[in-house]
Amino acid sequence: MTQLKIENLHAGYGSKMILNDFNLEINQGEMIALLGPSGCGKTTLLNALCGFVPASHGEIYVGDRVITKLPAEKRNITMVFQSYALWPHLTVAQNIGYGLKVRKVKTAEIQDRVNELLVIVKLEGLQNEKVTSLSGGQRQRVALARALAIRPDVLVLDEPLSNLDAKVRLNVRHEIKSLQKQLGFTSLIVTHDQEEALVMADRIAVLNQGKIEQLGTPEEIYRTPSSAFVANFMGAENHIEWQNDDNTLPAKSAQQIYFRSESVQVTVPSEKASSLSNDVHFDSDLTCQGHVLQSAFFGHHYRISVRCGAHTIQADHHSDLPENTPVTLRVTADALHIYNNQVETAAHHVPTSFQSNK
Amino acid sequence: MINTHVTIQSMVLEKLKNMPLKFNFWLQILFILVFALVLFGPIVNLLIWTVTEVWYFPHALPSQWGFKYWHQVFNPYSNVSSSLFTSIIIAILTVCVCLLVSVPAGYALSKRSMPFRVFWMLLFLIPQAFPNLTVYMNIARLFYEFGLNGTLLGVVLVHSIHGLMFSVWISVAAFSTTDPMLERASRNLGAGPIYTFFHIILPQAAPGIIASCIFVFLESLDEFTGTFFVGAPDISTLPLLLYSASMEGNYQIASITALILLVPSILFMLIINKFMSPEMLSKLGK
Repeated sequence: MTQLKIENLHAGYGSKMILNDFNLEINQGEMIALLGPSGCGKTTLLNALCGFVPASHGEIYVGDRVITKLPAEKRNITMVFQSYALWPHLTVAQNIGYGLKVRKVKTAEIQDRVNELLVIVKLEGLQNEKVTSLSGGQRQRVALARALAIRPDVLVLDEPLSNLDAKVRLNVRHEIKSLQKQLGFTSLIVTHDQEEALVMADRIAVLNQGKIEQLGTPEEIYRTPSSAFVANFMGAENHIEWQNDDNTLPAKSAQQIYFRSESVQVTVPSEKASSLSNDVHFDSDLTCQGHVLQSAFFGHHYRISVRCGAHTIQADHHSDLPENTPVTLRVTADALHIYNNQVETAAHHVPTSFQSNK
Repeated sequence: MINTHVTIQSMVLEKLKNMPLKFNFWLQILFILVFALVLFGPIVNLLIWTVTEVWYFPHALPSQWGFKYWHQVFNPYSNVSSSLFTSIIIAILTVCVCLLVSVPAGYALSKRSMPFRVFWMLLFLIPQAFPNLTVYMNIARLFYEFGLNGTLLGVVLVHSIHGLMFSVWISVAAFSTTDPMLERASRNLGAGPIYTFFHIILPQAAPGIIASCIFVFLESLDEFTGTFFVGAPDISTLPLLLYSASMEGNYQIASITALILLVPSILFMLIINKFMSPEMLSKLGK
């Protein structure tokens, strides 16, 4: 059953439209991650859903209710803010119970619900603390409990983990996910961290310039990215533009090839003779020969940069390789993501450090 | 021999090194004394006057000390206690009027989207831009037509004109420091704009607003010119009493009145010091 439906939504600030003709449907009890680089329109979409940015065109449905023109307080879509936006003059319990108090729920009922939520988010005994005395992770949970207290139709989370320490982040990530499974709320989470999206979401929508590039399950997005942009954003950092020399195939003049560093098989040839050609060869598999530029320790593997002709390729290898070692790289066909002539959309958003020279 | 020579030399060096330090020390003492005299001299004189009963001209100190005038001042039927009462009533009413204007105005003007924002802000400054006397004389002339001269309301309004500059500007700063996300969070959870204002925004801005109230209160308590033109002779506040007492050469009464006026100022300054956050001060006039 569709819980949230966004139809042809146009929204933005002033005359600058950030979302143009945006469409998305979220099912009851589903968690969708909006993934994209900064400025792609993810936060604008959340603000449009919550009523902080007006929609100039299009409709938003919650169930069969149209909420497009409703003021923020009537939407019943609650948000976990990136900065948490907890009220410093109220206690933890008052923060959590605020939405219920606004709805004129009886004090005893509010107390029951607050206690229930404190148990759910594991903050028992902290109800009378000032929120300013809590740690980042605890504030995060108060914000989550506050948003869940009123049993919203849809919960939206705006980069909920970006203000946490790396270690706490891993824990909270799983906690939010298991809470979502346990309570079954419909939610939309915004993130720019692909790993976060993969772990938490039932489906991922990769956004680029206010449009969905690809919508699918984490496996689909990861294994079969539909465009160069998605492939690159999902961690296929190696990019090779393959010019087909074969004049008998005029249509395929240039192909954009993307692959992950972990899918590169590195072999060190025993004879020096074979390492003379510094070139890339693409048939159905991709093979290249080159020299090690540098190697960095990544914990359970080494990330080595290999110079192959005009390209620099990142590859993962189990052991360290000294500079200038001749190596042969091989990427099997199933690990390659190949796109035809999509160089503008991809190259524009590829972080420069990941871009190869050509 | 050489050893003693070296020690003597080092001692001389030590002395030379200490010399400028000592010179600086005495210079500092001198400066501190001069400043203390400038700052506290008049106050000491005032304090002496409060406990003087007889003091003839060429003498450095009074010939007769005592609390006679304190009894006079705190006599329930004296002018001073009734003026003190009037002053406090006027100050409280002025605070109320300023609050009524500055809370909504401060909130509205803290929004960047407010049209003619700078104009409105400057509007509250304009009465301060002209010489006091001309402003109050014209106000007195206007009030005369409405029959407000010599009334409590008239004086409260005059004080409010003066107080509004402080209260509006400080309130704008106080509201500007509140995090707009807190407001959003409240709306997001189902609270309307008015509920949000009273439950979320106002508590955030409260310290700044309290500080502005204290400023208004103190300004009203010390206000002379406006009260003189609009209120005198029907309304008598402490500063007016102070003025007439010193004009009549009654320095004891004048000094004691001044001392009474000093008490709330010092008390509230300490409180303001606690309420005014550096973040808020940085938003003043922005």
